[in-house]
Amino acid sequence: MPVDTKRVRGPDESQSPLVFLPPTAQTCEVLRRPGDRGKGDVRPLFARCGLVSQAKGSAYIEAGNTKIMCSVYGPRETERKDDTDMKSGRLVCDVRLAPFSCQKRGAWIQGSEERDLSLALSESMQPGVCLHRYPRSQIEVNVMVLENDGGVLAHAVTCASMALADAGIEMYDVVLGCALRQDGDSCLVDPDFSEERGSWQAGYGENQGRVTVALLPNFNQVSGLHADGEMREDTLTAAVRTCMDGCHKLYPVVQQAILRAVKRKAPPPEK
Amino acid sequence: MATVQVSEAEKVYVMHGVRDDLRVDGRGCEDYRHMEIETDVVSNTDGSAKVSLGHTDILVGIKAEIGKPRPMVPDEGYLEFFVDCSANATPEFEGRGGEELGVELSNTLYKVFNNRHSLDLRSLCICPGEHCWVLYVDVLLLQCDGNLFDAMSIAIKAALFNTRIPKVHISEDEEGVKEIELSDDPYDCMRLNVENVPCIVTLCKIAHRHVVDATLQEKACSVASLLISVTHKGMVTCVRKLGRGSLDPDSIFEMTETGKRVGKALHAPLMELLQKEESLGKKRQKVGFLA
Amino acid sequence: MAVDMRLPTVRKQISLSGSQSTDGKHLVVPGDVITSDTGFMRGHGTYMDDEKLTASVAGEVERVNKLICVRPLKTRFNGEVGDVVVGRITEVQQKRWKVETNSRLDSVLLLSSVNLPGGELRRRSAEDELAMRDYLQEGDLISAEVQSVFSDGALSLHTRSLKYGKLGQGVLVQVSPSLVKRQKTHFHNLPCGASIILGNNGYIWLYPTPGQQDEEAGGYYTSLEPVPLPDREVISRLRNCLLALAAHKVLLYDTSVLYCYESSLSHQMKDILKPEIMDEIVMETRQRLLEQEG
Repeated sequence: MPVDTKRVRGPDESQSPLVFLPPTAQTCEVLRRPGDRGKGDVRPLFARCGLVSQAKGSAYIEAGNTKIMCSVYGPRETERKDDTDMKSGRLVCDVRLAPFSCQKRGAWIQGSEERDLSLALSESMQPGVCLHRYPRSQIEVNVMVLENDGGVLAHAVTCASMALADAGIEMYDVVLGCALRQDGDSCLVDPDFSEERGSWQAGYGENQGRVTVALLPNFNQVSGLHADGEMREDTLTAAVRTCMDGCHKLYPVVQQAILRAVKRKAPPPEK
Repeated sequence: MATVQVSEAEKVYVMHGVRDDLRVDGRGCEDYRHMEIETDVVSNTDGSAKVSLGHTDILVGIKAEIGKPRPMVPDEGYLEFFVDCSANATPEFEGRGGEELGVELSNTLYKVFNNRHSLDLRSLCICPGEHCWVLYVDVLLLQCDGNLFDAMSIAIKAALFNTRIPKVHISEDEEGVKEIELSDDPYDCMRLNVENVPCIVTLCKIAHRHVVDATLQEKACSVASLLISVTHKGMVTCVRKLGRGSLDPDSIFEMTETGKRVGKALHAPLMELLQKEESLGKKRQKVGFLA
Repeated sequence: MAVDMRLPTVRKQISLSGSQSTDGKHLVVPGDVITSDTGFMRGHGTYMDDEKLTASVAGEVERVNKLICVRPLKTRFNGEVGDVVVGRITEVQQKRWKVETNSRLDSVLLLSSVNLPGGELRRRSAEDELAMRDYLQEGDLISAEVQSVFSDGALSLHTRSLKYGKLGQGVLVQVSPSLVKRQKTHFHNLPCGASIILGNNGYIWLYPTPGQQDEEAGGYYTSLEPVPLPDREVISRLRNCLLALAAHKVLLYDTSVLYCYESSLSHQMKDILKPEIMDEIVMETRQRLLEQEG
């Protein structure tokens, strides 16, 4: 994205109006999840492949209010000659959060959070793609987050694997992601933004954290694991297991979406 | 990270060695290399530390400045991390090469400290909503020989222990204008409680076992590593999987357990050493960068 | 689990008293005038400035009859014909491999300078060119001899003897090239149970002594069998000893390595790299070497 030089931004002291909300509105008690979701339920997923006609492959995912779009270009010749690897291809991942996606307006220039997400996505996707089949080439995966309502990394992983499958890139398995929010002794699977951020008072309690797991369901191998916050080791272990179950629940939906896209592309049967 | 090339036969040798708990330099799978720690090496900072772990050298400098607190948390100060991989460390870092690695390291540090208990941020507040202490933690990579995360976290803990923040005094005059006064006595300062600051342990998976404190050669033989940051009580603050490979869930649980055990055991000798160094006071022989 | 944390100490260079005085050595820095006598020929590391012979590198002055040159003490490897080197393949090009040998430029290993599998003697064909990668890939280690030196200083290597070729399982240790003593042979089977190749370029290769000699394979077959534990221990100990000797700038050859190994037997392998134990072991080694010299 280009550097935004023409727009006149407000003075530096300008702040988001959310800061001025009365304190009670900022805390979020998680007594009842919206939509009557249980603590271990993932949000219903809407997934479609083949949106962007120019790209080799693309996918769009909606989970609750989180909307993510991904497009795949390649395999192409590597741009930087010194990075050419004779034996395997490269996977270049780029995650962008649209400026209007979060509650607070984001900057146009890629911030450190986006670079962190791009690196995390690349590490999670690499074990799943058969890169040795594309020596000296690079595959570009571009993810755009249109609305951030929690679980961005997890859903970006799922979206990217669907786009790769749509592009016909050889993969060992579909990579699925699932996020979790640990709050004291209870855990919430697939949190939305307010659940993920949590309340500031709760932050002083024990066992608070967020876990994101990327899984290859047929091999039962974990390809990505990110956790932060402060948790006990056994809580962490239980959280990882719960996330893995969440991924398995997502698998049939993703499978259906990819098959539907394949059927649309396939030529009609000869009579 | 700087990489070395290894041949297939060397990889096989290293893998078999790790399987038998005998690494190339004679260490066991959970042994660290020789470590040297020194604090107060840079006089212009409020706190500094230098750590050498094998041939990896890391220098951390902390400067405390007065700034405005974040709007969502008016009664707390905050930390800002910046990691610089200079071309001194290895020619691969020339120009913008080291920037990617530097960004990855600083993002990990933000995640490690992203909880309420590591550092008591409320003690950094001067005047709620108006002034607070901002600690700028700058990490400089002088030499790179593998295992950057561990050495960096130890250096940061030592530097935070060494940090002396001057005490300030708020005075309000008749019109309600607040003035900040620094106390005249240079020794009148506030120290930070670093008991809960976590230490990072990186575990590299080589074949079916995992090793702590991997050298660059061992890293080239592994496809996946797990980074885990542990406090002295055994609480886990950040877990990340690094590398191009995937991990079995059972290995993850094993590695988490080892990481927690090794991490917990790092804190006691470190605090002991830091306190011993401080008790030496003026008699301490300052080595700096000469060794 | 062992963690060794300590405060750093200034390490003094230990030197045995009296024996290594610097009277005999003429040390210069760049810009120092070596001599104003015009009867001398100038060699490497010097330049003529107004009829005065001046040094251009920091090092020791060497005089051979009328030739004066300055040899820098810590430098990249400058190869000469006949040197044994250990190198790593960096690139596979048409009809040759590029080998990294710790010198100014990458060395070259031509396809015509290697032995074909099976020991055949024939002209290299186009098929051999395509099969180059099957033999040596990027990252492989080889031991070779310098055949000739190109005009720009790059070395041309050959592995035309059965003792050279691709290296199998073992450990590579990198030290400064000036620490490796020039000897008749660089391949040694140490009595402690391992073998060592002391490359002139500072790359030292430690490997388990092969049981039977695979004569017909000629360095092509790399055994991927696990190396037994006692051999591994010997190799790890030797590696640490080599690093200890290199840190104290002791000349490396088979006798010095062996003495160091024997002195280190009383300590644990992983302790050898601790500063005080390193000092102790190297002192003992130096003592024994002096006694041996007479």
